[in-house]
Amino acid sequence: MTLTRRRFTRHGLMMTAAAALLATAPAFAQAPAGKLVLYTSQPEKDATQTVAAFKKAYPNIEVDIFRSGTTEVMGKLAAEISAGQPGADVLLIADAASMEILKAQKQLLAYPGAKTDGFQPGSFDADKTYFGSKLITTGIAYNTAAKEKPTSWTDLDKPAYKGQIAMPSPLYSGAAAIMLSTMTARPDLGWKLFEGLKANEAVAVRGNGAVLKSVASGEKSYGVLVDFMAYNAKKQGSPIDFVFPKEGAPAVTEPVAIIKSTKNEAAAKAFVDFILSDNGQKLALWMGYIPAKPSIGSPSWLPEGTKINVMASDIAAVVKATEADKARFATMFGN
Amino acid sequence: MARLTIDRAQKRFGSYLALDDVSIAVEDGEFLAVLGPSGCGKTTLLRQIAGFDKLDGGRISIGDRLVSSAQTHIPPEHRKLGIVFQSYALWPHMTVAENVAYGLTVAGVRDPERGKRVAAALDLVGLNGFSERRPGLLSGGQRQRVALARCLVTEPSLVLLDEPLANLDVHLRASMEEEFSRFHERTGTTMVYITHDQAEAMALADRIAVMDRGRLLQLATPSLLYREPANVTVAGFIGEGMVLPATILSAPQAGRCKVSVLGVEAVVRCRSDQAVNGQAKLCLRARDIGITTAGENGLPATVERLSYQGGFFRMEARPANSQNIVLHLDAAEPAPAQAGEAIRIAITDGWVIPESVSLDKAA
Amino acid sequence: MSLADPATLRTRVEETGLLWGLVGLVALLSLLPIGRLIVEGLAPGGQLSATALGKVMASPTTWTATWNSLTTAIAGTILATLIGGTVALLATLTDIRARNAFTFCFVLPLMIAPQVTALAWLQLFGPSSTLLKLIGMAPPLGSRNPLYSREGIILLLGLQYAPLVFLTLRAGLRALPKELIEAGLAAGASPLTVLRTVVLPLMTPPLVAGIALCFVSSLGNFGIPAFLGIPGNFLVLPTLIYQRLSGLGPGVLSEVAILSLLIGVIAMAGILLQDLMLRRRDFRITTTSSAARPFELGRWRRPVEIGLWAFAILVLAMPFLGLLSTSLIPAFGVPLNAKTATLANYAYVLFEHAASKRAFVNSFLMSAGAATLIVLICVPLGYFIVWKKSRALRLLNLAAELPYAMPGVVLAIAAILLFLKPLPVLNVSLYNTIWIIVFAYLARFLVLGLRPVISGYLQIDRTLEEAAQIAGAGLPRRLVTIIFPLVAPAAVAGALLVFLTAFNELTVSALLWSSGAETLGVVVFSFEQGGDSTYASALAAITVLVTVGLMASTTLFAQKLPQGVLPWRD
Repeated sequence: MTLTRRRFTRHGLMMTAAAALLATAPAFAQAPAGKLVLYTSQPEKDATQTVAAFKKAYPNIEVDIFRSGTTEVMGKLAAEISAGQPGADVLLIADAASMEILKAQKQLLAYPGAKTDGFQPGSFDADKTYFGSKLITTGIAYNTAAKEKPTSWTDLDKPAYKGQIAMPSPLYSGAAAIMLSTMTARPDLGWKLFEGLKANEAVAVRGNGAVLKSVASGEKSYGVLVDFMAYNAKKQGSPIDFVFPKEGAPAVTEPVAIIKSTKNEAAAKAFVDFILSDNGQKLALWMGYIPAKPSIGSPSWLPEGTKINVMASDIAAVVKATEADKARFATMFGN
Repeated sequence: MARLTIDRAQKRFGSYLALDDVSIAVEDGEFLAVLGPSGCGKTTLLRQIAGFDKLDGGRISIGDRLVSSAQTHIPPEHRKLGIVFQSYALWPHMTVAENVAYGLTVAGVRDPERGKRVAAALDLVGLNGFSERRPGLLSGGQRQRVALARCLVTEPSLVLLDEPLANLDVHLRASMEEEFSRFHERTGTTMVYITHDQAEAMALADRIAVMDRGRLLQLATPSLLYREPANVTVAGFIGEGMVLPATILSAPQAGRCKVSVLGVEAVVRCRSDQAVNGQAKLCLRARDIGITTAGENGLPATVERLSYQGGFFRMEARPANSQNIVLHLDAAEPAPAQAGEAIRIAITDGWVIPESVSLDKAA
Repeated sequence: MSLADPATLRTRVEETGLLWGLVGLVALLSLLPIGRLIVEGLAPGGQLSATALGKVMASPTTWTATWNSLTTAIAGTILATLIGGTVALLATLTDIRARNAFTFCFVLPLMIAPQVTALAWLQLFGPSSTLLKLIGMAPPLGSRNPLYSREGIILLLGLQYAPLVFLTLRAGLRALPKELIEAGLAAGASPLTVLRTVVLPLMTPPLVAGIALCFVSSLGNFGIPAFLGIPGNFLVLPTLIYQRLSGLGPGVLSEVAILSLLIGVIAMAGILLQDLMLRRRDFRITTTSSAARPFELGRWRRPVEIGLWAFAILVLAMPFLGLLSTSLIPAFGVPLNAKTATLANYAYVLFEHAASKRAFVNSFLMSAGAATLIVLICVPLGYFIVWKKSRALRLLNLAAELPYAMPGVVLAIAAILLFLKPLPVLNVSLYNTIWIIVFAYLARFLVLGLRPVISGYLQIDRTLEEAAQIAGAGLPRRLVTIIFPLVAPAAVAGALLVFLTAFNELTVSALLWSSGAETLGVVVFSFEQGGDSTYASALAAITVLVTVGLMASTTLFAQKLPQGVLPWRD
């Protein structure tokens, strides 16, 4: 279509590196069109870039973004569901546990036709209601002036680390809650690890952003932090470094899902297709994440040949255990 | 037709009866003073006339228009009155001219007519040149006059004044009294003047309504109030009257009768239908008694104190036969006797307070 | 009523119409969100259910959090009253110099979001604190920051809300005629005695208004306990609500609704107490004399001035300097020096990031709009509450506390529940427009405007209105020409509070914003969460500068405003 091609040219001039990565958009016979509403808890920059790239691929779709913290996004969605009219067509949030809750409430639309070959089996829902878009691992970040250089999770229990650790609170962060349940389920870590953290006076702060600030400013020397945040800060010059602990790194997959009541199923499916497509995965890579599809490659900050030992999490088990685990955590770390 | 008719007005605050069947008819163009001690109900009455409060019983009419009753209530903004408040109530964020012009602006009068009338009003009260000042920078007397000008500029037919001179010093009070008086003569406005100061009331009013504890005690001209008080309270309140028990000795003749008081006899005024009895009350004023001239019989008394009034002395003396009564009388300079000395007092005039339906219920 | 003439009828219609219009408006703003929450709490999905209520009441965390909320709110209020009250007395009644500049500076911290303040103080007391390092008192690495405690929260709440008490008390003190104080001094009483026996009793309405506002604000504050309490799991009701919300799962909205209503009940109890204290006493001041400045400090003047300015600088400059230094570094944690300083963050925020620019415009328009509307509502509202003693409005007055006391996120949820579907009759949807945020702001901040106005009315002599009545002015005209100018200082204090609070607010718009309707708080929050603290700081710093500029610009047309309207101009 003439119109489409003209738009391509104009957009092509405006885009920079992203355009170089993305090949010409596939032209469908009946391109999905109309409005698409995305609710996401990604960082705002990433959300904007994802949507911009998506629009290049599907120029007839207008995307509205609502971006906030996971709690706020889920709260808004819950209120809308309660009022009878969910506002989102697609949802892209940090962790699968929250998706499971929505799935249990029958709010997600299954998309059996999604192209999931090449993706790790654990990164998408077996019933095809949600699909991981990238791999975000949690490891140990440390201030470059720190005295010790940790290599394993159990190092955090050592006396040398006393009073120097910050971690995101599972009570407020879904990703941290998954980490809690995953790690406490492992025999080599278990609750012993957290008891040790408590003995070492670790502070559980609200979210990864707070951990980053704490470690980067030197307030605490060590922090439990997501990989991309540490590495992006390092790139910009923050005195922070990151290590994948020996035992492995728990991960979240930042899944995308279609809300059942969506008014634009075609566009929603197109969005999922885009996220799972090679172009979408390359975008994640370019944004600084480890893509969910391993064959795409690894981001620049990951040294060549590093194999990340991802801690497997059984999402079903996590969902079952999370309430009890969080309650136990609250009692342990409460006053 | 009366300008203001108050007909058996009643107002209750909880169980307290602030106005008890008060009836007053104010003639067109009359200057009526409502006089009484604090708490007598005069301010309550004013607020009923103005419309700030609602009556529980009775009626109030302005002209031939019913404005207040238990069922009707015309709000203050539609009563076409003027009020001079005790605190003047000048609006601090407006200039003097704006304060005075307010009523005209509300009525839709525009410049240049409005400006002219404001200037005229300020002229009337002697404040031309003050129009751009703010009330905060004026003296008490000046604020008083602005309040008056503001009240008058709309040419109301009825003006209420709520103790307007209470906050002024003695000299200002005298000049403002003149002001009010002159103003009343010039314009013929009906004025209702609330005050606790009887000298003011006597000087200014055509008639005075004396109130106490919510009730109207007497409504009469100042002269009549002074010479013929209708009851004990009025007698005591006006002109520093002294009320003494007396026995009537003779029947009234040409408005006078003989009485015996404190052991001496005197000829005093009384009502023509005054009954002869032993339970009468006699009202005496300072000018009704004096020190006896040589040879005259009189009431023995001891001087308690003298206070110089400027040209004459006010003497307080205690009768020998009644230790719990104090009489006061005037004596010209030089003092005829000092404190502690004995004198003889002659009673030359007085008024027998009529026995009416007792308005003072036993306390 | 018997037949009355048309003029009287018109008056009655005007007054009744205004009264019921106000009742309707306040009910809409206050009762509607609460009602919807009650429905959600007790009858989720349309079916009556007490499970949420039972679960919340039975959980010991609820009561721990309630106790913590009460203690921190009460203690924080006491601290704020002591600080704000003392400073107001010193700044208004004594002969210190440069009082206008000082007032200006003291009010500024209201413009800095509580979370920024919390962070700045945390850094001050932490091991990497530049200030402490300077005086050699920096705590060793790894020691627990003393601010992560109940006491830390109380300290910051007191500092955060001291300007509230300051503003309301200062507005009241300016109405105090100096004769009253001079009479006391002449009678031989010491200045402190005069303060205790003359000034403070007369200042009861504005003081109590300030205290009530403080208490409710502290109760509903989220930012400070979020930063200082969460790490130690010291929960107050707002953070408990947030925690429940983060836990997701079915039924979470009901629990959240019940917990919010709990906060509301506590807030209302506090306000009832305030009403009781103000009853039966006459605080009216009849005067037109100019401002009092009767206390001369003599040789105490310089030390007092130094003390006041040092305090203002500490409380104001510190968080702002923290913001500033973070905004000038390329990445968090990089020390600030001549080599590392950069304006790149500002460039990004101002020129590249479209949402930031939109957010400025949006936040300004919404905050200014809300402040103006609230003042326009509160002046007649205060009239009917204080002078006409309308019972309906006095009850609604209580209800107005709730949307302010409850966490912003809950009010947002209530707004979503209410306005998701298009409005009946008009068939227009407020959802995903700025108008839903405006509604939420009006509902939430009404009380901020109302409290100062009510205390203003308590101090005005009603004969001023009566004189206007006699002059023939009907209620609407009286409200505009007489009452509004008289109550203006108090009203503007309220408008300022509303504007400053709304300009920076986050928790309400975090759920209600939509593309094109971003607010400053939302954009700063996004940056923070994404790890872009430097952008967040740059934006926050610009916000503070813009607000300072706005406030300073009001002095340009200060001449035209009635006396005492701007708190920093005599």
